[in-house]
Order: sequence, then structure tokens, then C-alpha cells
Amino acid sequence: MKRSLPATLLLGLSGLFLLLLIGMPFWWVVTGSFKLPQEIIARVPTMVPHSFTLQHFAKLLSGSDYPVYMINSLLVAGISTAITLVLSVPAAYAFFRLAFPGREALYRIILLAYAFPSIVVLIPLFGMFARIGLIDTLAALVIINVTFALPFSIWMLRSFFASVPKEIEEAALMDGAPPTVILRRIMIPLIAPGIASVGIFAFISAWTEYVFASVLILSDAKRTVPVGFSGIIGQYQIDWGLLLSGASLAVLPVVILFALVGRWFVSGLTEGAVK
Amino acid sequence: MQKSRSLAFAFVAPALLVLAAILGWPLVSAVLLSLQDVRTIGSQGQWVGFTNYSTVISNPMFWTSVGMSIVWVVANAALQTVLALMAALTLNQNFPGVKIARTWIILTWIVPTVVVVIIWRWLFSTSGGMINPLMMQTGIVSRPVGFFSTPWTAMATLIFINSWRWFPFIALMMLAGLTRIPADLYEAARIDGANGWKRFTRITWPLLAPTLGVLTVVGTLLSFNVFDIIWLLTAGGPAGGTRTLPVMIYETAFKGYKLSEAATISVLATMLLMAFALVATRWLAKEGDSR
Repeated sequence: MKRSLPATLLLGLSGLFLLLLIGMPFWWVVTGSFKLPQEIIARVPTMVPHSFTLQHFAKLLSGSDYPVYMINSLLVAGISTAITLVLSVPAAYAFFRLAFPGREALYRIILLAYAFPSIVVLIPLFGMFARIGLIDTLAALVIINVTFALPFSIWMLRSFFASVPKEIEEAALMDGAPPTVILRRIMIPLIAPGIASVGIFAFISAWTEYVFASVLILSDAKRTVPVGFSGIIGQYQIDWGLLLSGASLAVLPVVILFALVGRWFVSGLTEGAVK
Repeated sequence: MQKSRSLAFAFVAPALLVLAAILGWPLVSAVLLSLQDVRTIGSQGQWVGFTNYSTVISNPMFWTSVGMSIVWVVANAALQTVLALMAALTLNQNFPGVKIARTWIILTWIVPTVVVVIIWRWLFSTSGGMINPLMMQTGIVSRPVGFFSTPWTAMATLIFINSWRWFPFIALMMLAGLTRIPADLYEAARIDGANGWKRFTRITWPLLAPTLGVLTVVGTLLSFNVFDIIWLLTAGGPAGGTRTLPVMIYETAFKGYKLSEAATISVLATMLLMAFALVATRWLAKEGDSR
């Protein structure tokens, strides 16, 4: 298909605009974290760094609690992801394939839960968690993250199940395989990209969660990156080098994860939206 | 049959139990809390009926917050939709690197809010930063602009930042709608001599409109709930200029120590949101029928 000259020009312009809009801020932050302090706050901003230093990273990793926050965040996000998968895969399969009363109504309620204002349950949950001694524990954050990741995960996995050719499942049914075996031996391997997508989603939402982590965690040693790091922002006068290096490090895990399985996540997102 | 039914329950029950315990029950508690006079967490309250509701409704600050939430939601929906549509139309074309672009466009959405906050606080900063020096160099302004120092500029800046964060997500959903439009429609239009603009207004737009409608509703619901970006960048300030309903709920509960009042505001906010969702889905269904 040939494109006319104005169409090519328009496409190039909008592509460039998007690249600048999304890429530029990240470029500035990541390169900024390697610049010397005087270059960071220079009157004339530099596109390509003139100086190179690791002092901000050194200060962040040895002079602040950032490493502790990082470990807490990785723990919370990792465990939340595992539990979300264990709960959502069978549930999504049941909503997709198995017949039970109230299936459609329940499914719709779950979808509604995705758009639910989380701040509404923040206050009662604080009281609930205080009564059962979950305040100031990482377990509380895992519970919260799993809950908020579930609706979207079930929705996305259901559309992945729906994309498996019916014949494969029917052949297994003919052979007399029970649903548990079909799910484990046939469906799960076939929807591996879907499971990866939901895993990314659960990990990212836990990794970025701020509101609940800021209210339910009281001691500094149990803070996650979003909360602990925002505490660093407020301390003393603003040390941009420290903040930029912290921001770069906080982006790193999700970028690595996304580089490995991001393609599947995006296809899962777009395939799900069509259904 | 009986066996498969109990199996189905075994499959869905764990997930449903978690949702009921952590979303369902607290929602009920929020309503109960709004009918009492609890001030701090753990303290016992008396039943006071609808007193909190009359207190909140007669508080002008509440209505200011409602207004701000409406401004926030409408402006975000508009900006997000425009940016997302542009991105989706671009990514729907074939050009070198489009596959990479389709994956990485969502970068703004996968990074923690606190990173988004640092990025833009720095870029919009009056000391150093990037935007102020660039604007001064090109002569648009003569002095640094304090983007977060007046209510309206703070609101506008926050709306831009939030839309920047969310538009790629919406764009990918739109892209899904675009790829569903059959290619032979465009081919036929091309043979009939329709130019690019005609093809957009006669094919793309009408066929994409339902998707756009649904996404606008979803985007509205999601942006209504945004709290962390606002809290971390302006904490509702300056002078309450960015105090949307979620910010007001948080402040009332955890700064003002009026839990029951905060619960009341959150119940009212949920009702408002539900009413919007109901009207919007009705309207979408009607639009769909008339097509």
C-alpha cells in the first residue's frame, strides 16, 4: 500500500510528537541521574550529558533506606503476583467454561469492581485491619494488591481462554478428561501468554500502589518504594540528583519485566478489549 | 452435572471470597460508618442517623470539591481521548518500528506514580528543570512560570500529567477497535476515489465511535479515582485549588480525624459515580440502537 506525501508527512509528525512526548521525559530523568549536580540545575538544559557520575546512586544506595524499600516492594509485588494468578486462573476458567447459577451476574459485578473508587474502602479497611492486627505488615499490602488486581485479571484471562480453539478442548473432553486436568494440562500451557500478561499487570499494580501502602504501613523499615521514596522527596532541601537516580531505579524492574514479556501484555490488552 | 457445578464453585469461590471480604464488606462498613460519629480509628461511635449527610451537604467545601472533580474528570477525558485517538491512528499504520512503539508506548502507565511525580516536578520546576529554561530561551516567557503556584495552573498542569500517564492505555484499547475495521472497506473507498479525510470521517469515525464511547466512560470512572498524583504533587493545594473528592476524603479522614464524615463523603461520591455510570451506559446503549 502506497502512501501519499502529505500522509507520510503527517504520520512522521505525529510519530515524532508521540516519541518526544513519551520518550523525552524518561530520557531527561535517566540521563539526569548520571549528571553532576551543577549540570542538573544548569540554566541551559543539556540534551546529552556532559558529565558522568555515579555519586547519586551511591548516595541513594548507601545513605538512604532505598534498598530496604526496594526489597519490600519486590517481596510485596512478587507474592501478590503469585497469589493473584493462583486465584484468577481457575476463576476465569470457571467464568468462561463451567456452568453454575449466577455466572453472568457475578461476572458483571466483578467487572464493576474494577472501576470502583478504592478510596471508599480505605477507611473501613483500616479499621478492619487494625482489629485483626494487620496494620504495619507487608501481608496487608499483599491482600490489598491481590484484591485490586483480581477483577482485571479475571477479565483478561477469560478472553485468553476464549481465544483457544474449541476443538482442542472438545477432543480432551471426548477422551473423558475432567475439567481440572483439561485446565492444567491443556488450557494453562496454551494461554501462557495470557498468564504472563496478567502476571505483569499484577506485578505492576503492586509495584506502583501508593495510597494503601501510605496508610497501612507505619514503620519506615516496612515501607515500599512509592511511599518510602516520596518520603525522601520531602526531606531537607530538594536533592534532584538523588530523586532522579531513585526514579531511574524504580523504573528498572518494570522495564526489565516489560522487555521480557511486554509484547504479550499489550496483545492481551488489545485482544481483551475486542471481546 | 452436579459434580461440575461444585467444581465451578471451588474454582470461583476463593477469588469471590477475597473480593467480598476486601471490597464488599468494607463498602457496607463505609455506609454504616457514615451513620455514626466515629472520629478516629478504633474509637466507638454513636448512631447519629443522617446528621453527617446534612453536615456534608451544607458544607460549601464539599460542593467546591464536587465541582473540581467534575472539571478534573471532563478535562482528563477530553485530553486523554484526543491524545489517545491520535496515538491509536498513528500506531494503526505500518512503519518501521511500529511493533516496538505499540509495546513501549505504555511506558508512562507502568512506572510508579511517584516516578511520574518526580519526572514532572523536575521538568516543571522553577529552578533548573527543562520546561522553564526552554520557554525562556525561545522567548515565550521572560521569567520562570510557577506551574504549581496558582490554583488554575496547578489544576491544568495536573490534568496534563494525569492524561500523559493514562492516554497510552486508552490508545491501545482504541487500537484494538481500529484493527477490527475491515481493510476492504478502505480499499473500496479508495477505488471510489475517497481521500484520506473522507475515509476517516465516513469509515473510521462512525465505526470507532462505539469503542470511543465505552472508553470515555471507562476513562472517566478511572480518572475520578485518581488520588496519588494529586496528593503527591499539590496535596490538594494551592489554596484548595486541586482538592478533588478523593483528596477531600483522604484529608477529612487522616488529617482532620473525622472518619464518619469522610465515609459520608465517600458514600456520596460513589453514588454520584454510579449515577453517572448508569446514565452513561444507558446513553451508550441508546446510541448503539439508533445506529
